[in-house]
Amino acid sequence: MQTRRSFLKLGAGAAAAGALVPFATHASPSDIKWDEEHEIIIVGSGFAGLAAAVEAGKLGAKDVVVFEKLGVYGGNSTLNAGQACFANTDLQKKLGIEDSAELMVQDQLKSGRGYASEVLLRHSAELGPYIYQLTKDCGCIYRDHIINTGGTSATRSHQVVERSGSGFIRPMLKTARSYGVKTKIRHKFEGLITAKDGSVLGIKVRRGYHFGHEDSGELINVRALRGVLIATGGFGANVSFRQALDPNLGPEVGCTNARGATGDGLIAMLAEGAMPVHLSFIQSGPWASPDEGGFGYGAGFSLYNFPHSIAIDRSTGQRFMNETADRKTRADLEVQRRDKDGKPNPALLIAPKHEAQKDPSLENVLRYKVAWEFDSVEAIAKHFEVPLKPLKKQIEDWNTYVKAGEDPQFGKRMNMSTGIYLTPPFIVQRLWPKVHYCQGGIQINTKAEVIAAKTGKKIPGLYAAGEVSGGIHGVSRLGGCSTPECMAFGVTAARSMMKA
Amino acid sequence: MNKINLLLLLALTSCLTLSAHARDKRDYHDMVYDSGCKTCHDQGAKRFPSDQACLQCHDMSELAEQTKREGHDAKQNPHDSMHYGQEAPCMECHGEHTPKQAICMDCHNFDYPKFKH
Repeated sequence: MQTRRSFLKLGAGAAAAGALVPFATHASPSDIKWDEEHEIIIVGSGFAGLAAAVEAGKLGAKDVVVFEKLGVYGGNSTLNAGQACFANTDLQKKLGIEDSAELMVQDQLKSGRGYASEVLLRHSAELGPYIYQLTKDCGCIYRDHIINTGGTSATRSHQVVERSGSGFIRPMLKTARSYGVKTKIRHKFEGLITAKDGSVLGIKVRRGYHFGHEDSGELINVRALRGVLIATGGFGANVSFRQALDPNLGPEVGCTNARGATGDGLIAMLAEGAMPVHLSFIQSGPWASPDEGGFGYGAGFSLYNFPHSIAIDRSTGQRFMNETADRKTRADLEVQRRDKDGKPNPALLIAPKHEAQKDPSLENVLRYKVAWEFDSVEAIAKHFEVPLKPLKKQIEDWNTYVKAGEDPQFGKRMNMSTGIYLTPPFIVQRLWPKVHYCQGGIQINTKAEVIAAKTGKKIPGLYAAGEVSGGIHGVSRLGGCSTPECMAFGVTAARSMMKA
Repeated sequence: MNKINLLLLLALTSCLTLSAHARDKRDYHDMVYDSGCKTCHDQGAKRFPSDQACLQCHDMSELAEQTKREGHDAKQNPHDSMHYGQEAPCMECHGEHTPKQAICMDCHNFDYPKFKH
């Protein structure tokens, strides 16, 4: 029988083993017991990770592994509206839209308010047509309609027919596997394994991990021969982390992200001395609905309808913003809609049914009680307790702006609402921002190499792409501009690793 | 009885209580409980069952067929969804000893009237 004394001995042994762990993470490769070895390690199965996997496969990589901590693939990428801004595509030409990579960069620099990285934006925009073709080669199918997202001077948001990021993720996952890429769920990235000079040798992974059960599974060491790509996304779902960086983003503000968006990759890279950039620039989606969780259906509905609809403050019955301004402008104004006690009083997006019904999202928002139909202005006013007279006047005024093709109230670009008058019946959705995207992250260069804070030089063997990288978009990211950037830098990382 | 034996006895009793409690919840799994914890806990009793454990008895494509929806709801088949196809492991939505909800519900107000935790 085990005595108390032997228990104590066992305890001491376990403590000693624990103490060895920090040494093991900074050692020479020969000192480490490697459980697995791969040519390329990719952490995260979203847009950046899968684009890298596909490109590495195309370039002839023989042994690529993608680790995903959740039980399902795609992370946050599989949940969005499936839009990607590309400039200068055949679809734009077909629809008579003039655009260029340079124009796209200029739009993004404006929205970035002096903080965006011109060189990284240009790198991403110039790769746009390549990414557009790459996704089509994977089997992604685009709609014939191009979406107009806020803050742009040309209509350029290409959307897959699913109207969801899953329309990119599933074909890309299939294509990656066709190249022999190994894809593994329930593998949580726990940290980097580095040599004494700081170069990255591999990673620690918790194999058999179940989300929310931090001790589940077991730790293994995985060696990378060419490099490690961290493509773990943002930290929007980590409330304490995001609130530490922006006190306005407490639990009152929801989040559109997948539950796994907790910033593991970012935190691990910071621990290894990567350069932090713009961590406080966290974007909320101005198209979100408080009447459903996550990204939901409301976002698709409001994205389609913003150009020809108006957003109303419930206490005044009047517009309070340009409905197609960039995200930060709109989200900041929306979150200020409050009642007398300072409690959230979400604004109303009022859309004309005759136009709203052209988009498939209408059926969803009505069915799942994310929006409601009303036959008259009076009915809206009564249901939402909006002062009727100013609301009526606002709608009449708006219709004169549609006719004139000019918005004297907020200077909205009116070419998307030509001939679309706001007449009954109306569809109304409530608007309240949700944390959507972290512009901040660790710094990368145009080779997707991670930069060290101490030296300003690359950390050998370490690459990052997608939302986990920071500084690209500056203060505010334009809609549909993360998807192409995630993929562009994923592709870039694969190219860099194959040269390494 | 020394202290260690007492501890062991207590631990055993709590295990029995736990499994009896779990058995109450799922009548249609009685058969599995009768065959012992390892029937599902193929990686050991203290660990989560593997993602293949449920598939010993359940077939994903059959389930997908059973929960097939028509028309507007066609894409809301939880066993063959737009986001994850037939790849979502059972335990993402179902818990044997813990109530859960479908992961779709993180973002959508869907109604799955026949859903069992």
